[in-house]
Amino acid sequence: MRDHDGVPTALEVRGLRKSYGDGFTALDDLDLSIPAGSLFGLLGPNGAGKTTLIGSVCNLVRPDAGSIQVFGHAADTREARALVGLAEQDINVDRFLSVRQVLVYHAGYFGVGRREAVRRADEALELLGLTAKAKVTAPELSGGMQRRLVLARALVNRPRLLILDEPTAGVDVDLRAEIWRLVRTLNDAGTTILLTTHYLEEAEALCDEIALIRAGQIVDRGTAVALRAQYAVGSIADLYQRALAPVAS
Amino acid sequence: MTGVLLSPGEVVDEFRAERSPFSWLLEREVLRYLRIWRYSLVGPVLSTILFVVVFGTVLARHVDGLGRFSYGQFIVPGLLVQAVVNVGYFNGTTSLYEARRDRYLHCVLASPLRWGEILGALVLASMLRGILVAAAVLAVAVPLTDLDVARPGYLALVAPAVLVVAAQFGIIAGAVASSLDHVYSIESLVLLPLGFLGGIFYPVNQLASGWQLVSELNPFFWLVQAGRTGFLGSADVPGWAALLVTWAFAAVLSAWSAVIFVRGRRLKS
Ligand SMILES: Nc1ncnc2c1ncn2[C@@H]1O[C@H](COP(=O)(O)OP(=O)(O)OP(=O)(O)O)[C@@H](O)[C@H]1O
Ligand SMILES: [Mg+2]
Repeated sequence: MRDHDGVPTALEVRGLRKSYGDGFTALDDLDLSIPAGSLFGLLGPNGAGKTTLIGSVCNLVRPDAGSIQVFGHAADTREARALVGLAEQDINVDRFLSVRQVLVYHAGYFGVGRREAVRRADEALELLGLTAKAKVTAPELSGGMQRRLVLARALVNRPRLLILDEPTAGVDVDLRAEIWRLVRTLNDAGTTILLTTHYLEEAEALCDEIALIRAGQIVDRGTAVALRAQYAVGSIADLYQRALAPVAS
Repeated sequence: MTGVLLSPGEVVDEFRAERSPFSWLLEREVLRYLRIWRYSLVGPVLSTILFVVVFGTVLARHVDGLGRFSYGQFIVPGLLVQAVVNVGYFNGTTSLYEARRDRYLHCVLASPLRWGEILGALVLASMLRGILVAAAVLAVAVPLTDLDVARPGYLALVAPAVLVVAAQFGIIAGAVASSLDHVYSIESLVLLPLGFLGGIFYPVNQLASGWQLVSELNPFFWLVQAGRTGFLGSADVPGWAALLVTWAFAAVLSAWSAVIFVRGRRLKS
């Protein structure tokens, strides 16, 4: 579970299974290993199990079987929790707090002291262009602004593994470009990033490695170049067609 | 501004907190209801005081058989218990149910907070709200009714149990409710009837014996008896029995909510 430099892998998932109460199998013996420092894209159709996988890593889903390690720490330990930053697909913000307080308290949940929490909150506000909205409550923000807040929140604990579940869904071109810049900057500084997206050109442009997920299993992975060559396709869009077409019934 | 957020934090082998995540969550929980103080604090205090005024002064003339106590003095301890239980219920449901519904509970679950710390912060914040409301009610009700505390030691022993029962009841309801409908129906189908039949307004020995038995099966009844024993010195049941039963309820509800938080079935997918 270490790569050749002896650095623990950022995320090591083995034999992960999850069936929901209605009997639907969302994750079917899934294995996934993400090396430290990578910018990793997870690509798959609606309902493939991406969000369920992320929820399992972040203590939001109760898997039925399997093991998950984050930088060598079991996912359910405080050490692992402290290393992960999460921006969920569906926006979820504390409606009782102001935008600034959301960030301060979130840092606090990770054990940061007040002075530092306030400093980080202010920095996050500035990074995501929310400074002017610091005092309003989250429900008063527009959808795009709420997306910014969710991203800002994922940064305040300085995660070594940043998980972004469809961060660019439904955002305008400016914010999308901003998010891309942010993701690249963070990754250049050493943050491992796991990103899901339905925008294939996004995966191709950003990610140094891509895994394809379908029906709760990883069906293939590699660099965009390698995957294109392997499937003899011209673009990731063709690859998506080829590799992730619904299983013929 | 020299930023720190664009690069990852240091590698650590063991989680170390500069300030405990528990205290942050507790602070957040208290801040939540202080921000909406009109609804969360003034509302329950006002409605309880109105009960004291209307029942304790106006209806008092038509009630007797309470020995050396006025009707106002007789009902205040029970009304206080009711106010605390209501506040606990609304705190648990608005805080935890909404956190589940709007999924910002995820922020807490995904953080290094342990289940015991999350539950502890919810319970403690709810208890503090109960204390604030009880203190405000007493500040008005005591001069209004000339109420005295007959057994302060007993009251000190039983009050924490009542506060724990109230807090845990609200948290359990907030964890199991699957809709707002659910929250309101627990209120009107469970909380309200149990409160009214809990002997706040009358001594149970004035009821037919069948109804006395029904009263004794009502958890609320024991809480009211415990409160009344503390303030008036005695009630319909022995003080020790009320103390024991109230603490037993506190223990059972605490175990129940602990199971909910350990298993996480209601909190996670
Ligand atoms: N809480 C739940 N209860 C029951 N079934 C669920 C629940 N959450 C997800 N599922 C089901 O599990 C499967 C995987 O869902 P998941 O959200 O993980 O997919 P996804 O890959 O993130 O899809 P999308 O691209 O649409 O976000 C879906 O069929 C979904 O209906
Ligand atoms: Mg999803």
